[in-house]
Amino acid sequence: MEEYPEELRTPPVALVAVVGCPELHTAISTHLHSEQPPINTLALPDFSKISIIAKRHKEGSDSGQFNGILKRDWLSKHRTMVPAVVAALFSSDHVSGDPAQWLQVCTDLENLKAVIKGRNIKLVLALVAQSTSKDDISEDRMIALRKRAEVDSKYLIAFDLNNPLELKQSLNRLGNAFSELANTYYRDEGRRIKTRLDRKSLSSVELSIRYCFKVAVYAEFRRDWVEALRMYEDAYKTLREMIGTSTRLPPIQRLVEIKTVAEQLHFKISTLLLHGGKVVEAITWFHQHNASYKRLLGEPEVNFLHWEWLSRQFLVFGELLETSAASIQNTSSPVLVATDRVSEWELSSAYYYQLAAQYLKEKRSCLELTLSMSETVTDIDSNAESVAPSVYVGQFARLLEQGDTYVMQPLTDEEYVRYALAEGKRFQDFFEIMALLKRSFESYTNFNAQRMASYCGFEMAREYFAVNDYTNAKEIFYSIASTYRKEGWVNLLWEVLGYLRECSKNLGKMKDFVEYSLEMAALPVSSVAGIQSLGFKECGPAGPATGAQREIIHTEVFELVRGETGLASNKGSNNFKVTSDQPVRLDIDLVSPLRVVLLASVAFHEQIVKPGVSTSITLSLLSQLPHSVDIDQLDIQFNQSACNFTVVNGQRPKSDEISDGMMGQRVETAPVLVLSTNKWLRITYDIKSEQSGKLECISVIARLGPYFTISCMVESPAALNDLPLWKFEDRMETFPIKDPGLAFSAQKAIQVEEPDPQVDVKLGTSGPALVGENFAVPVTISAMAHSVYSGELKINLVDTRGGGLLSPTEVVDPASADSLHVELRGISGLQCEDESQSGIEKIRKIQHAFGLISVPFLKEGDSWSCNLEIRWHRPKPIMLYVSLGYSPHSDDQSTQKVHVHKSLEIEGKTAVVFSHNYMLPFRQDPLLLSKLKAGLNSDQMPSLPLNETSVLIVTTKNSAEVPLQLLSMFIEAEDDSDSGNSITVRQSDPLETSLLVPGEGFKKVFAVTPEVNTPTLKMGTVCLRWRRDGDSTSSDSEVVTKYRLGDIKVESPPLVVKLDCPPHAVLGNPFTYFVRIQNRTHLLQEIKFLLADSQSFVLSGSHNDRVFILPRSEHILSYKVVPLASGSQLLPRVTVTSVRYSAGFQPSVASSSIFVFPSEPHFEMTDAGVRPESITAK
Amino acid sequence: MIVCVAVVGHQNNPLYIQSFTEADDALKLHHIVHCSLDVVDERVNNPKRSGPTLNETFLGLLYPTENYKVYGYLTNTKVKFILVTTDLDVRDADVRNFFRRFHSAYVDAVSNPFHVPGKKITSRTFAERVSGIVKSFGLSSAG
Amino acid sequence: MVREVAESCVESLLTEIVSQYCNGFYANKPDLAARRIEAIGYQVGHQLSERYTMERPRFSDHLEAIKFICKDFWSELFKKQIDNLKTNHRGTFVLQDNKFRWLSRVSVAPSSENTGSIQDPSAMAESKEAQATGMYLYFPCGIIRGALSNLGIPCAVSADISNLPACSFVIRIKA
Repeated sequence: MEEYPEELRTPPVALVAVVGCPELHTAISTHLHSEQPPINTLALPDFSKISIIAKRHKEGSDSGQFNGILKRDWLSKHRTMVPAVVAALFSSDHVSGDPAQWLQVCTDLENLKAVIKGRNIKLVLALVAQSTSKDDISEDRMIALRKRAEVDSKYLIAFDLNNPLELKQSLNRLGNAFSELANTYYRDEGRRIKTRLDRKSLSSVELSIRYCFKVAVYAEFRRDWVEALRMYEDAYKTLREMIGTSTRLPPIQRLVEIKTVAEQLHFKISTLLLHGGKVVEAITWFHQHNASYKRLLGEPEVNFLHWEWLSRQFLVFGELLETSAASIQNTSSPVLVATDRVSEWELSSAYYYQLAAQYLKEKRSCLELTLSMSETVTDIDSNAESVAPSVYVGQFARLLEQGDTYVMQPLTDEEYVRYALAEGKRFQDFFEIMALLKRSFESYTNFNAQRMASYCGFEMAREYFAVNDYTNAKEIFYSIASTYRKEGWVNLLWEVLGYLRECSKNLGKMKDFVEYSLEMAALPVSSVAGIQSLGFKECGPAGPATGAQREIIHTEVFELVRGETGLASNKGSNNFKVTSDQPVRLDIDLVSPLRVVLLASVAFHEQIVKPGVSTSITLSLLSQLPHSVDIDQLDIQFNQSACNFTVVNGQRPKSDEISDGMMGQRVETAPVLVLSTNKWLRITYDIKSEQSGKLECISVIARLGPYFTISCMVESPAALNDLPLWKFEDRMETFPIKDPGLAFSAQKAIQVEEPDPQVDVKLGTSGPALVGENFAVPVTISAMAHSVYSGELKINLVDTRGGGLLSPTEVVDPASADSLHVELRGISGLQCEDESQSGIEKIRKIQHAFGLISVPFLKEGDSWSCNLEIRWHRPKPIMLYVSLGYSPHSDDQSTQKVHVHKSLEIEGKTAVVFSHNYMLPFRQDPLLLSKLKAGLNSDQMPSLPLNETSVLIVTTKNSAEVPLQLLSMFIEAEDDSDSGNSITVRQSDPLETSLLVPGEGFKKVFAVTPEVNTPTLKMGTVCLRWRRDGDSTSSDSEVVTKYRLGDIKVESPPLVVKLDCPPHAVLGNPFTYFVRIQNRTHLLQEIKFLLADSQSFVLSGSHNDRVFILPRSEHILSYKVVPLASGSQLLPRVTVTSVRYSAGFQPSVASSSIFVFPSEPHFEMTDAGVRPESITAK
Repeated sequence: MIVCVAVVGHQNNPLYIQSFTEADDALKLHHIVHCSLDVVDERVNNPKRSGPTLNETFLGLLYPTENYKVYGYLTNTKVKFILVTTDLDVRDADVRNFFRRFHSAYVDAVSNPFHVPGKKITSRTFAERVSGIVKSFGLSSAG
Repeated sequence: MVREVAESCVESLLTEIVSQYCNGFYANKPDLAARRIEAIGYQVGHQLSERYTMERPRFSDHLEAIKFICKDFWSELFKKQIDNLKTNHRGTFVLQDNKFRWLSRVSVAPSSENTGSIQDPSAMAESKEAQATGMYLYFPCGIIRGALSNLGIPCAVSADISNLPACSFVIRIKA
């Protein structure tokens, strides 16, 4: 589009001229330019310059013979030289001045009128008042001037330079006058030409076209787009008709002229349509234009001109579309949508650029052909020098110098062809084509039309390739290859790879060359009839995509990698060869396109295996190369390098390079290692791993020839991906493994179990644990067939019933050991060769429920033991888990450890249970009022009489299943400050060890005398020290179990009833039985008493009575009693009733019992009194 | 004249592509067919036509290029048929008719027990039938 | 394009396929037999859908495709349409045929426990007859799956025969 002249590219703007008063010209032209629509101004400083707008003398006449259709300069003339209106500016001084000045004005005006008359240019007068005296222009002069100029009064405009406001108004008036007159002018001109056109008697078609064009341009000046469009279309149609009929010029030049004019007309039409927003119409118009002229190739020697022209049509239209699309986007009108007539891409400029490039390439090839055929190249150059565009659009002429002037001489077609060839040679089509393709490529990429973009890329890369720019070509080819690979467009891929291969060769990139060659050789080209093979002529450097060509490439590349031939690069003498200095190694991963060359699948036949036990592994290789490939050697590599092994082709002589560096590795020899096309090569070997964990096959390295290796990552048969490209082929598909079960499930990795532990861990236990004791669980580790290196013992205590080992209060104070139900205390009995300190270090970590201990090195046969000390605070069963982790070998820390797990359930039991009760003093019953009030409520605290010695009996019972040794039992007073002398507890010496077998009880009696009258008295805590019978006497094993005694109530009884009788009686022997009723109050107490009869006794004395007892005195009832029955008998019971407290009470049964001997007993007194205060009773 | 017909699978892979031209532009036709898939994608993703033609199997003119016009057809099973012709004036009805016959040939081809779904069509019967359909293109406008 | 096949022939063929796979090739592996039969159905459905979708516009969504299965496709196969179509609008469709042709000749001994979907082998294990009947349903399940897959809708299809001879096919479209 840029090569078009400015006047063609932009819409025409009306032109006016101003003459005289040059000081105003700037203001006027600026003002007119900013008008809507703008007006261009031709400023002529004074009247002497007006001749330039005058109609020049024409050589030849209009009706004469025509040399062309359009004059080259006509449009520019009308835009820059021929004004529609002329404004004559006169100074008011001159108009109103002396006659000489007036005369001058008149002369100027006459001259001007004479000039513009020929062109029908309209006239405007302006009077410029320069001085302050503005009113001095007389009306007569004004009218005279108007008359003389033959203008209407409204076209006489007065300017007042001194008044800016009025100046502005004057400018506006001038502008209005100009636009009105310009419109009239262009309309008149258009009409004038149109009448000529309508006369139908035009001598030639050319004239008709020219007139149409002119009318259209005048319409454009008037902004009458519809008219302009119609006239341009008329011109275009008329021109189209001219093609077969015109005989004016020699045929070649005739066609060139017609096409050039058509191009101009088409450009105008397209611009008008696009600016009118009629995109679809514009595209449709372009279709027609394209269809009309596309086949007009012209003479063969200049058909490059046709392609150049066609390319330009596409380019220009693309550019027009692009600019109009940009302006449409700015105005945010609805997005263009494709319709039935116009497809998607035709709305995008990329489409036109691409085709422009296409046609430019066509032009280039035609030009090259023509040039190669014309022998006289030098002749062309010399001949073309003096040729230049002639005055007519699309015509060329020879400029002949004739003295001072040049004369245009028409050319013959031969001359023209030579000129065109010379011109064509000057242009670098390559850059033009690249620029077009690049624009197209980028645009398509933005549309996400990647296939279109790939095609553009392909064309670009081919251009680069053609000019030997292999680096750029390779880069682009590489980037587009993946598109074709992904979608399986094998033939297109073949082309791209062929170019890539050639680029690599020319760049001397051996590895790339080998890769591309192999990929090509393995491509599924023309393996089936469905996709026909491409013809021979048009194919790229790789040759036709045929099976035969694949085989050729295969042979070629294998000769190369085996070092038999070299790679002939174009880079001079460098003949690349695969040697020991330049080995080639290809890597094929899971997404590599080279998977078609070599696909490796490895399957373990099992999923899990013991260490040291061998299992089968099958290696399957598949290749799609057209010929069979002999593999010299296969290295199979695992994540455990010790398992790596090598398979050597038995048919190949072992070369030194191969065996080098293979020392110590397993080498197998396979009878045959040949990869046939699309046939799995399956080899199965045994494999065993000593190391537990995952054993995974990583890669297989195939060695083909001394310096060529392919490292191929292996895949599991179960997860084998489709083979790229070949997946669309109708080929025999087989499984890498014959066994269908394995084919679906086998993996390339196997789990190697850890070796069986050869170490025994024993947890000894001595029955249930007892609450409170440090319960020792012996752990014995005996290394049987393994040595133990870096052993570690983990201990875990878990509540059997679930839940924590801690009581809920643990949250509050986790540090307190009391809140723990069960606690791992420590480890004892570590057997260490050195000091105990190192033993402590070995206890790495002990927590309440978790422990971690290091186990020293143990030789085979050694054993080691320790005790876990666990203490129960509550009875609870727990699970003890012990696990030993060790490595059987000293050397490597990294190897996986062997683990032995043991567990044991241990129940924690309460060792001793306590109970206690109080006994009041013997045969002495206080009236405890609280007891009476409470009635039957037995829950309340026991009451003890003040200052009386009561008896506390504490009973413990062995509830464990083992005999216990009791060491001592005592009562610990509470720490209350005021309780120091609140109670006196008489305690005996620590008791000697007494054995308590399971289920047996033990009682201890304490005499308790409360000394403070208080409703709640803390009695203290019973502490029992004990240990398991048979344990050592060390204090470690002693356990103190505590039992808190309940609080008691102390009160002073108002009345005390004491029974006084002998300790025992003899049948028939009378004895005296006193009942003493003590009043301990300061009040007189009225007492009623009632004595019940007893069948076992005969008694004398009053049975019931009412007595008064004085304060602090005692009333004694005395009875003479004779026992009638032997054994433990109940004395006649007395019931005392206090009137004051209305409470009666009886002495307890215990205190009113007496033993009656049948006859006088005889005791043998031995050591009976040794233990005065302890009674062992069942 | 029809210069090329193609069947393209749902992964945009060529299943069958045959050109009927003496000129050596088979590679170019491959490119044209491949590029036309962009238009098919575009047209399926942004259906432009409204009304009864929505989701019609016949996609119409995909794009004109150089000397060719490319027509497309997309079956319910996401298989594309591409037709490349050099005729400048092509009647829509002819193309529709062509595709209808082509589709039925395709269905018969994939019903062939030796055909594996998703793979290239190698049946010779299909090739012959396609040639027949191509030869009769535009001849029987009524049909 | 209308082609017809003797109905008895198809039914006998199906019976033969099922018995061959269940009692012949995979006598002790009902799972494998089921998978094979389903695969045959898949192939059939794949090819049939190609044929029966000719001459019709492309489906714009899943529901349209399912409707096609219910109406035209089913009519082509069984000369009747699906009687009831339910969906949860989240990719699950239940197609109920009140008198499923291929089961119309099957009579199951009245057993208390012949309910349950054939995808749930544990429920089926209780009833031998129901299990045997279920075997016949893998084929139509496969047909539906094959047809939908070819239309670009990957899915899983199961059948439910809790009240014979009505039969429900449950289609779960994979997201």
